[in-house]
Amino acid sequence: MNPALMACLAAVLLPLLGALIAGLGGVGRSTAHRVTIACTGISTLLSLLLYKRIILEQGASLNEVAYTWLGGEWLTLEIGFLVDPLSVTMMVVVSLVSWLIHIYTIGYMRDDPGYQRFFSYISLFTFAMLMLVTANNFLQLFFGWEAVGLVSYLLIGFWFKRESAIAANLKAFLVNRVGDFGFIIGIAAVLAFFGSLDYDTVFQRSDELRGAVLVILGQDISMATLICGCLFVGAMGKSAQVPLHVWLPDSMEGPTPISALIHAATMVTAGIFMVARMSPLYELSEVVLNLILIIGAVTALSMGILGIVQHDIKRVIAYSTLSQLGYMTAALGASAYAAAMFHLVTHAFFKALLFLGAGSVIIALHHKQDLRNMGGLYRYMPLTWIAMLAGSLSLIGFPGTAGFYSKEAIIEAMHYSRLPGAGFAAFALTLGVFFTGLYTFRLLFLAFHGRERTRVDEREQLRESPRVVTIPLLVLMVPSLVIGLPLVELMLYGGYFRESITVLPQHAVLATMRADFHGVWSYAAHALLTWPFWLAMAGVAVAAYCYLLRPQLPGRIATAAGPWYRLLLCKYGFDAFYLGPLAGGVRRVAHRLWQDVDSTLIDRWMVNGTAHSMYLLSAVVRRLQTGRLYHYAFMMILGLLLLGLLQG
Amino acid sequence: MTLIAFYGFAGLYLLSGLLVVTLRNPMHAALSLVLAFFSSAALWLFLQAEFLALLLVLIYVGAVMVLFLFVVLLLDINLAVLREGFIRWLPVGGAVAIAMAVGIIAALYTELEDAAGAVALPADYGSAAWIGQHLYTAYLYPFELAGAVLLVAIVAAIAMTHRGRRRRRAQDPAAQSRVQASRRVRLVQLDKDS
Amino acid sequence: MSVPGPLHFLVLGALMFCISVAGLFINRKNMIVLLMCIELMLLSVNMNFIAFAHHLGDATGQIFVLFILTIAAAETAIGLAILVVLIRKRDTINVADMDQLHG
Repeated sequence: MNPALMACLAAVLLPLLGALIAGLGGVGRSTAHRVTIACTGISTLLSLLLYKRIILEQGASLNEVAYTWLGGEWLTLEIGFLVDPLSVTMMVVVSLVSWLIHIYTIGYMRDDPGYQRFFSYISLFTFAMLMLVTANNFLQLFFGWEAVGLVSYLLIGFWFKRESAIAANLKAFLVNRVGDFGFIIGIAAVLAFFGSLDYDTVFQRSDELRGAVLVILGQDISMATLICGCLFVGAMGKSAQVPLHVWLPDSMEGPTPISALIHAATMVTAGIFMVARMSPLYELSEVVLNLILIIGAVTALSMGILGIVQHDIKRVIAYSTLSQLGYMTAALGASAYAAAMFHLVTHAFFKALLFLGAGSVIIALHHKQDLRNMGGLYRYMPLTWIAMLAGSLSLIGFPGTAGFYSKEAIIEAMHYSRLPGAGFAAFALTLGVFFTGLYTFRLLFLAFHGRERTRVDEREQLRESPRVVTIPLLVLMVPSLVIGLPLVELMLYGGYFRESITVLPQHAVLATMRADFHGVWSYAAHALLTWPFWLAMAGVAVAAYCYLLRPQLPGRIATAAGPWYRLLLCKYGFDAFYLGPLAGGVRRVAHRLWQDVDSTLIDRWMVNGTAHSMYLLSAVVRRLQTGRLYHYAFMMILGLLLLGLLQG
Repeated sequence: MTLIAFYGFAGLYLLSGLLVVTLRNPMHAALSLVLAFFSSAALWLFLQAEFLALLLVLIYVGAVMVLFLFVVLLLDINLAVLREGFIRWLPVGGAVAIAMAVGIIAALYTELEDAAGAVALPADYGSAAWIGQHLYTAYLYPFELAGAVLLVAIVAAIAMTHRGRRRRRAQDPAAQSRVQASRRVRLVQLDKDS
Repeated sequence: MSVPGPLHFLVLGALMFCISVAGLFINRKNMIVLLMCIELMLLSVNMNFIAFAHHLGDATGQIFVLFILTIAAAETAIGLAILVVLIRKRDTINVADMDQLHG
């Protein structure tokens, strides 16, 4: 066997092994974390080796079948691995963040009775996510897709005695069902059109999609639009895009390491990764690209605004995640797949950092998460404060930080895109930067600065978190701040993704942008003259004014804004709409179907009706059964006579 | 001579048959049936079925008809009720019988030429040896089966009419399902004072 | 010995069959006579079999008669047993009284 394939197999399967040992092996607490951390650590090392081979040494991509699962005349289902620049980047991000979060979990979950279960789940998640990113066919992608969804469900409901956690994991599962329904239809459409689920086969024959139409109800529907649209519905569910975003804020019911790993760094970016992976197909449908662009822009702006009114420290970051996912989605829509992937990588680091920092605060406050009861924490937890500050700077795109380069590239790509929605998207994303600055520093100021709103007895116990918590924070700080410097030129303009991402010449916004790029530092300096930087700074300034200098002001603004504030508080009413008209309407329809179709039509008329008509018929027929022997004998003889007559 | 004998026995045969269906008293009817068997056996002799003729006399007259007579004797039968409708249904029965007879005989005369295609009989035709030869070779399994049917009939007849005490502890599902709560539990209102 | 042709016997059997059919009609209440009528019917059928066996020189006819006699004996035994049980339980052999299964 090819050593690269072996490395890939080991990297994918080791976390599964760890999950099995920790989950089913009946091991103790320390064994559980040692085994899973060792497995994920080796997996990380192998991912880095593969990264070195494929990216740094420009080695060939790996695309091999490890096992033929099902073979048939017209369909072969295989388990195969595709390790190319795109997936190896994801592998490194997933395994590295996962490994750090494994370590962090030792501190965060120290007193939890479900310690081994938790380690088993996050290792299982790592396995599933690695399966997802290394798949070389749609079926395996779908397996990983569903498996990460399952683990996400299990982990949101990790504290299954809390009613709100159960409601949240159910919600996540149901909303993802909607997305996955579209996703599987998209996969089925691919299978129907190409007769294969293998990436290579499908992408090489993607030109056949041009001009292919499907007639549905007399309407010509472009096959490319249908396939890409359905697949994107899956991405909307998994990557929490409006209007399927409602599950992500509620998923904060899960433990914080999970919020960092699954609901910020990796799983929610699976949709982004998927669209990037399917770029040869998406390039063929401008309708869907435009839809992606607009949905991404709407998500980025509207969810960013919501971050301002949240009081739960984790929910603020969750809305920030939604907003950043919107940025990535918009980049996909503009065919700047590389920019989306770049932002995915940087976001994975700084968002994991922010979540873990928030988790560190939550540990210190004994699992209290309300921002209104924090303040002035930087005195007690300096390391956490520095980490949070670094993450925040990266998030708002302070020049030089990782987030700056990726977000800047996305916003710039909007200006070069020629899709109809690009103007709106550019406006929304640029404005979104202001709100990013506002909510990010609002969080930072409310939690770490200003008046101490913690109780006095709490203050005595406040102290910096243990080293297993702070070391991952410090490790994550490094890429959050500096990873943009080496990657920006390479990833965006340096042909980093090679053949794994396809962009048609008419969509090649990044190639246009390349002309304006003159090195990382001049790029950063140039940013000082652009809108996004000053908008972000304005956001920070507003946050400082409202939350540090005039703490009473936000309350007054909220009162003055009245209905607008309430609209934000109820999150634009998506939940109310889903629960009321949508779920209620479905319930009403279902009730009518139950009453009219099931009870009346089927049960009463068809099932009981059959029996009843038999009863009526037999009421007539049974009169023939007189019970008199001689009647029967008479009938027999009559029959005999008739037979004789017929014969004669 | 043979023809006279044939017609004599044939007449006796039909007459006894008529008596069986018309006689008022079942005892007389049974005795007429015996006569019908006898004359039938005699007619079979014309057809060289000596073994079967003897069998008919021995088994039917000797065993089956005796059983009939016993049953008739043992039962105390109200004849008046049983004769009801005798006259009323006579025309119908007669008409049906005559219609059938005409139909069958007409069919026989049109379909069959008398004595045509007669085959030379084997030398030992009709003997016990000849029947046995066939019965125990080609018809062995049906023969065994007939024995089993007789056995079953014996068992069934005994099982139905046996009157001895049943020594079994098997459940009686019919009785169990007929049970009603009201028969099992009796609610009694007790006086508080007593 | 000149034997009458098979047609004689066949006609004889047919007549006897019709007589017993008429007997079924006019004795429609007396179960014991009904049983006798059935015996007569079987006898008339046997007549046919033996006539054909003689005519065709085939053993099958006679063998069949043997089986019919066997089955008829079994039927009579069972029939009479039922009759006895019936008398014992319901004190009647009137067919008209046996209509529990009517529709």
